[in-house]
Formats: sequence, C-alpha cells, structure tokens
Amino acid sequence: MKRYFVVVIAAVLALSACGGGSSSSGSGSGKHVNIVLWHGFTSPGAELDAIKAMTAEFNRTHPTITVTPQFAGNSDYALQKVLAAIAGGNPPDIAYLYGSWSANIATTPALAPLNSFIAHDSSFNWNDFWPVERGVATVKGQIVGVPALVDNLALVYNKQLFAQAGLAPPTANWTWTDFANAAQKLTNPAKKQFGWAYVNDGSEDTVWRFWAMLWEAGGSILESGSKQAAFNSPAGVNALTFLQNLARKQSIYLDTGSGNYLGLFNSGHIGMLWTGPWDLAQIASGHVSFGVQILPADLNHQTIAGPDNWVAFNNGSARSHAAYEFLKWFTSPAVNLEWCLRTGDLPIRAATTKLPGFKQYLAKYPGDRVWVQNLNNALQARPVLATYPKISQVIGQAVQSVLLLKSSPQQALSSADQQVNSILAAPS
Amino acid sequence: MATGQTAQAEPLFRLTVPPEKPRRRLPFSPWHLFLMPVAAVMLVPLLWMVIVSLETASQAQRFPPVLFPHSFHVQSYVDAWNAAPFAHYFLNSAIYSLSTVAGQLLFCSLAAYAFARIRFFGREVLFVVLLATLMVPFQVLLIPTFLIVKKLGMVDSVGGLIVPNLCSAFGIFLLRQFFRTLPIELEEAARIDGASRLAILFKIVLPLSLPALATLGIIQFLWSWNDFLWPLVIINTDTHAPIQLGLSTLQGGHFMEWNVLMAGTVMSQIPILLAFFFAQRWFIQSLAYTGIKQ
Amino acid sequence: MTALAEDTRAVGLERPPLWRRVLGSDQLAGWAFVTPAVILIAVFAVIPIGWAALLSFQANNLLAPAHYIGFANYQALAKDPAFRSAVVHTVIYTALFVPISIGGALGLAVALNRKIRGIRFYRLAVFVPVVTSTVATGIIFLWLLDPTFGIVNYFLHAVGLPQQKFLQDPNQALYCIVGVTVWEWLGFDVIIYLAALQGIPQDLMEAAEIDGASRWSTFRSVVLPLLGPATLFLVVWSTINALQLFDEVYVMTRGGPIGSTTAIVFYLYQQAFSNFSAGYGAAIAVVLFLAILVVTLVQLWIGRRRVYYAS
Repeated sequence: MKRYFVVVIAAVLALSACGGGSSSSGSGSGKHVNIVLWHGFTSPGAELDAIKAMTAEFNRTHPTITVTPQFAGNSDYALQKVLAAIAGGNPPDIAYLYGSWSANIATTPALAPLNSFIAHDSSFNWNDFWPVERGVATVKGQIVGVPALVDNLALVYNKQLFAQAGLAPPTANWTWTDFANAAQKLTNPAKKQFGWAYVNDGSEDTVWRFWAMLWEAGGSILESGSKQAAFNSPAGVNALTFLQNLARKQSIYLDTGSGNYLGLFNSGHIGMLWTGPWDLAQIASGHVSFGVQILPADLNHQTIAGPDNWVAFNNGSARSHAAYEFLKWFTSPAVNLEWCLRTGDLPIRAATTKLPGFKQYLAKYPGDRVWVQNLNNALQARPVLATYPKISQVIGQAVQSVLLLKSSPQQALSSADQQVNSILAAPS
Repeated sequence: MATGQTAQAEPLFRLTVPPEKPRRRLPFSPWHLFLMPVAAVMLVPLLWMVIVSLETASQAQRFPPVLFPHSFHVQSYVDAWNAAPFAHYFLNSAIYSLSTVAGQLLFCSLAAYAFARIRFFGREVLFVVLLATLMVPFQVLLIPTFLIVKKLGMVDSVGGLIVPNLCSAFGIFLLRQFFRTLPIELEEAARIDGASRLAILFKIVLPLSLPALATLGIIQFLWSWNDFLWPLVIINTDTHAPIQLGLSTLQGGHFMEWNVLMAGTVMSQIPILLAFFFAQRWFIQSLAYTGIKQ
Repeated sequence: MTALAEDTRAVGLERPPLWRRVLGSDQLAGWAFVTPAVILIAVFAVIPIGWAALLSFQANNLLAPAHYIGFANYQALAKDPAFRSAVVHTVIYTALFVPISIGGALGLAVALNRKIRGIRFYRLAVFVPVVTSTVATGIIFLWLLDPTFGIVNYFLHAVGLPQQKFLQDPNQALYCIVGVTVWEWLGFDVIIYLAALQGIPQDLMEAAEIDGASRWSTFRSVVLPLLGPATLFLVVWSTINALQLFDEVYVMTRGGPIGSTTAIVFYLYQQAFSNFSAGYGAAIAVVLFLAILVVTLVQLWIGRRRVYYAS
C-alpha cells in the first residue's frame, strides 16, 4: 500500500516537473546579460505592441543585452506578484509600478542604485523629466524608478449636448461657476442626462479629483513638513461645497468605479467628464463629437498628474547596469517620441516635445494637445509618504459622504482632519 | 427491495404521490412553472456575455447596454483568439484542472475514508487541524505558498500550479460526509471475507459514491479552471499561463474591448459548462445501487 | 438502517498477537490513508499559515527587513474602529448569507431532483452563476442595480414602488451583496444537495408512504434527516466562506459606500496590499482564523449530536 503511495507521488511530481521551465533570468553566460521587464499592458493594445517592438529594437541594437517583456497583471495584482518575487529574492529587473506605491517601494533594499547611475551619467538629463514625475519617483532623495507614464485631468465635453442646451463650448477661462451652470443646464432627469460624472468608489480615483479642486481653490493637502493635515481649510470647504451643490441638483452621475461613465458619455448621457488621455482612445472610438479643455478655475487652473514608474530592482551589478542601460535608451527623447507616436501617451519629458517629429504626434492625436499643454498646470504632487494610502482611504470616504449627501462639507473635513492627523502622528 | 431495480433516476416525490391521482393534469409538469423563471434569472449573465461578445466594439461599450443589436458579429471571437495564445492557455488549463481533479479524487478519498470509517489515534484532532487550513484567507497565504513552490523549483511551471492543489481539506470534508452516509453492512461483510481496507475503498465505497466524487471533481475542475491569482503570481511566461491568466491580458486597466473580452470569457467557460452537463450522468447514477441489499 | 457503531474492531472476536494488531491495525491503516493528504496539506497550507502567524508579530511591509514588535499589531487591532465595523458587517453578512443560501439550495435541489423534460438544462442553468467569473458577475450587477439606468429600478418604477439606490446607499449595499452572493453560490450548494439526494434509498420513501405520511411530513421526517451530513457540510463550509467574504466586495463596492461593505478580509487585503501593513493584515487573519475555528467547532459539536448518519 505504501509503495503505491510513493509511486503516485513520484508520478505526480514527475508530471509537474515536465511543465517546469526556465526562469528566463540568470545573469547569463559570458558577457551577455538577460533581463526581465514586467508590465501590465493588455492585448490587443497599442502599448503591448509597442513594448514588444521596442524591446526587440533595443535587443537588436544592443547585442550584449536581451530584454524580455512579460505580462505581470495590472493594478493591485501586479503589486502582489512583485511583492512575492521580492520575498523570493528574485525580483524582475524592471517593473511598471504605480507612482502612489513609490514611498513604500523605496523601503526595500532590493532596488537598483539608480541615483549613482544617474549622477554619473550627464547624458541622462534627469531634470528634463516633468517636475511632478521626478517628485513621485524620488523618495527622500532616493530615485526608485524612471518615469513610465504621465497624465493629468482635463475637461472633456460632448459638443452636441452643449449645442442642444444652447451653451457655448468651455473656454480656457472658465470658472467653477461657468462649469456649474453648464452642468445644470446639461442635466435632464427625464432623458436620464447628467451634466457631469464623478468616480465615487472611495478609491484614489475619487480622491485625486478632489485634490485638483482643493488646489484650484488655493488649498493644500498637508502642512509643509507633512506632520499635519491642511485640507480642512476654507479652500477644502469650498471644493466640497461645489461638489455637494451639483450632487444635490442631481447633475452628477456617480460612477461606482466600473468605468460606466465612459459608456454613458459615448451614448450621450453625460455632458462633461474630468478625465485623462487614457480614456481618449475609447471616447474617440465612440460616435460622440467631443472637445477637450483645461479644467475650470476657482482661483487657478491647476490639475493633478498621476505619474507611474519603471522601477529597477537589483539582481547583481551586471543586470542592474543592463536595466539602467535599457531605461536610459527607452526614455531618451527620440525613443520616447516613438513610444508616444505608437501609443498616444503623453511625452514623459520636455525634450520630447522639442523634437521636430513631435508635430507629427500632435497631428496624429489632436485630442492630446490640451493634455500636453495642461502638464504646465500640474504644479503639485501628492505627498510621497508611506502612509499616503491610508490618508487616501480617509479622504475617499469623506468625499463619498459629501456626494451621497450624508454629511456636510465641514463635517466631512473635520472628521477626516482628525483621522489624518492621527495617521500622521502614528510612529511608522 | 425489489423497487431498487426499477428506480433508475426516478424522482423522489413522484414516487410518493399516490398513483391513483391522474385527474386534470397539466400537459406538462407543474415544476416547469417554478424552474423556468429560476433558470431565466440564473442565465442572465451568460446571455448578457454572449450578446456583448457578438456586438461591435462601439456597441459593446455603451451604457446602458445595447441588448438587442441589429446584427451579430462573430469577429470578436476571432480577435480574442488571435490576441493571445489561447491554444496554450486551454492546454495548460486542461493539464492543471485534470491533474488537480485526479489528485483530489485520490488523496481526498483515501483520507476521507480513514476519517469516516477507521478509528485511529488523533483522528478527531487531525481532522480539525486539516479543516482549520480552510479558515485562513488565501490573501495572506499567497506569498508563503509562493516561497515554498519556489523552493521546490517549480516557479513558472504548470507543475507549480498543480502541486499545492492536489489535496484539500474541502475535498476531504465533503467526501467524509458522504462516506458516512453509506450503509456499513457491505463493508463489514467484505472485512469478514478478508478484504483489505484499500480494496474496500476502491471496490465498494467509491463505486457507491459516484455522485459525491462527481461533485468534488466538477468543483475542483471549476476552481482550477477559474483560478487567477495563484497563476498570476507564479507564472511569468505567456505560454505557461492557464486560461484565466491569459484572459486577464485582455482586461485592460483603461482601454477595454468589451466584446473581445466577453468573447474570450465565453470561450473560456464553455469547457466547464460542457463538463458539468456531461458529469450529470454521474450525479444521478448511483441511485439504483443504494436501495439494494438492505 | 441499523445504526451500528463505526468501530469495526467489534467485529474481531479474539485478540490477535501484538505485531498483528499494530501492522494490521486500524492505527496503521488510518495513518497510511491520511498520510499523503497530511503531507500535501502540511506543506502547502500549514507551513504558510505558520508563516502568516509569525508575520502578525512583525512590523512588515513585505519590502523592508521586518522586525518583531510583540503583540503591538493585536493591541492596535483591539482599538481599531474600522476593524470593529468590518467585524459587524461580516457578521451581518454571514448571518444572512448562510441560512438563505442553504435553505434556497435545498428547495431548488428538491425541485431539480426529478425526471422531467429539460431537467439537465435546468440543472445547468442553476450552475451557470457558479461558473461565471466574479468580475463578469460584478459588472452585470452593477448595471442591473444602477440607480438611474438599472433594470431593477425600472421594474420597481413600473409597479409603482419607490426607486432605490442599492449599491450606492450605505444602508442597502451590504444587503445587495448578500443577494448577489446568494445568487452566485446557490448552484454550488444545489449540486451538493443533489448528490446527497441520490444517496437516499427509495425504500425509505416508500415505507413512509405506506405509513400514510404526507409529502411534506415524508420530507421532514425522512428526507431532511438523511440530508443531515450534507447540510452540516454546507453550513460549515458556507460559514467559513462567508466569514472570508472578499471577491464580490472587491469587484462591486471596494468596501463602500462610506465603508458600509468593508468586510474583514477586504479590510485585511487593504491593510496588506494597499497600505503596505502586511504584519497588521496577518494579525487580522489570525484573529479571523480563531473566530472561524470557534464557530466551526461549535457547528461540528452541534452536528455530532444532531446529524444522523445512515450507517
């Protein structure tokens, strides 16, 4: 009987072993270096095609290095995979990770020494990247990754609905009052038509839209030094009151985070969105004639950008060097322009916009023009703190309670203020 | 009892209805009136997915959804199939699912039989310990399980998918409950005739337990087939990915072609639905056995 | 249907020699039968659980080198109001989900356990939601329950009832999750009941029939007790599962609105993978584990006294 078990287990293990494969890493024989890049680009998609084509191009032009792109899931899932790989002592050489994680990512000793690479390489030109990007990629002076993507929020509107309501299209001088008036005129409960949409799932998607409004109203998130909350201010009350007034008039479609707002915009049920270039492809594929404008102002026209990073991990000096080599090539202006042309993503550095070929990009993606210009309105970054996710959850609930008319702006802010201060006071 | 042989798959309750009651019957069983609407409610998502998968990209991303498109397009199925190496995904999922089903049926049967019928030292405690492994959310076990599979050298392989799922406390508990309902007389008679425990399990208990085994088999098949998070964490190479991980490559963070995603999803679910449809014969089969030899 | 003891040692009449008793004994056979399962579960479940338990005594974000902090995570947990409300939500959810899903499944299984035209199709239909991915299910229900565009409100309006906000109302969202998960898991319970119904001997039914029992009382006095083992299984399993509610919350509400659907495991996940407090998350897992263990032991203890095994 026992032998029987042994045979079965052996058979099972043998079967399992057949499926076993190489881990596609290993620092390579001789001078050739293999590195792995984890991304979340889905199929069919311009980004997936671009990363495949461009890593192949790099491998062709750099015979001593082979970069292998691998799909590692997107959003939260990618994080779990990366955390497991780090715990296993075998992280990918490069991984696409959200900027909001960088303060925590910075705590791992597994990072590649990007600071010294960049400091010893004047041709890299770190300061050419947009300030928000550098802000999110740098944690207490340590560079955790190289900018991978930058976006920002602008106003997208349905031209036809504006015309039907007898409204002039939004201008770059629009104020919150103009916006609120338009939102109300575009609202028609009988036709199930809304002036605006707001992502109300309480996630960072809810929160960062509020930060943009807070900044526009002249407020800030935290006091300088990040020891105290600063959003519980007249500016904060202003921003939330603006939201609640529109919610009370049923001018806002509250999206539960599933992205229905896009389908509704495409079927003419929503007049205006605050969104970024990532939605452009989907909006353009609909049949709505749309325009893009910078956000309306309270005191100013600030927007918010959410940059993501290519984080480089340390798998020995040879592989770290190779990873840096690739990232330097990949983010260089000419290559970045090729990426932008292929994908429609915004340029990640100023030098890209100065290349002669950039006109081609603007011609190919006319909708992106406003978002590119709007990068100049992305003046502030969210706090790069390990506790930021907790702060975000508190603010998410505060904004939800205002949108659902469950508490007044001041109540919501006071309660959030108290919670955020205790998060900031807790020893880390 | 003689009726055992004629019973076949006869329903319980028809038998209990006195036979002399054939007056004014509906032309169909009244159960249809109950089961029809239930089935309709249960089928809503599948129907919706099929409809979306047959729409064009711009129809599919409208909200509220277009429920009655003027024409149907099978193009999304072609697109989905071409967007990713689906043949690999299906093959990997088939290996993954069938291996874990085989493992679960074997290992869980053995253990469940011991827990149901054999008295040995520590049985009750051991059972609770095994059951306790179900009480910890997988979210916190993901990384340590990854570390163990890595120690075994099975990261990025189909074997790494299979090994942690060859046995489960769920399967042991399920089968134990069923084994304990079987009449013990047959087993006792076989014991007196000198049959070994193993022979009793394979020749008497398992043949009587086909519905339970089919249930465990289909559930395990379903779980491995639909497994996503574990494959995501241990598989790196696209051609080693099972179906759900493969499907997730169609599920973009921002831009999603709903019709293509739904076409892929429908394709991925057909094997489970077929497996269930055909496994039904085993769910019902052993009815005829149980009445005999009382 | 003799209720014999499982202890088959009673069969032997004489005491055989010691070596025989050991080698041919139930001790050896029992352990031999469970060993493969024990090894597999020990390696792939018990060790990881031990690892998680150690984690709960650490400040650990799974990135930086960890250090032990004693019971600090547990002390913080005891004072965490968000955890307390997650517990409340989870308990309410479980108290509703378990009886509704099992009761519904029992009724449905009885309906499906007959030979009528198209029965295989009906069984398949009931199983479809179990098969459908949670993500697809979530998307569909977000649409059906959308306050403005959803079909459910359309029907409510058509019959003159007030429109509801469903998943966007902090007072309703949790109950919506109960409804969706019952719908989703019903087929799972049904197939287990169907399998159990196959094991009920026809002659028992007929004996009851001859005694002149009505359909309902036959069901209550014959069928229901014989489904006891399956019911015990489903109660234990559904409770374990319900107390670990996660997927549907993650897909449909993200714990909202205003935290009203934050269940324990969702909160744990948020701590470990959004807030990078894996040590704290592990402490939540340990507390949840102990709670589930107690509940399960109580259920098994009650089951031992109340559930009748045909053997």
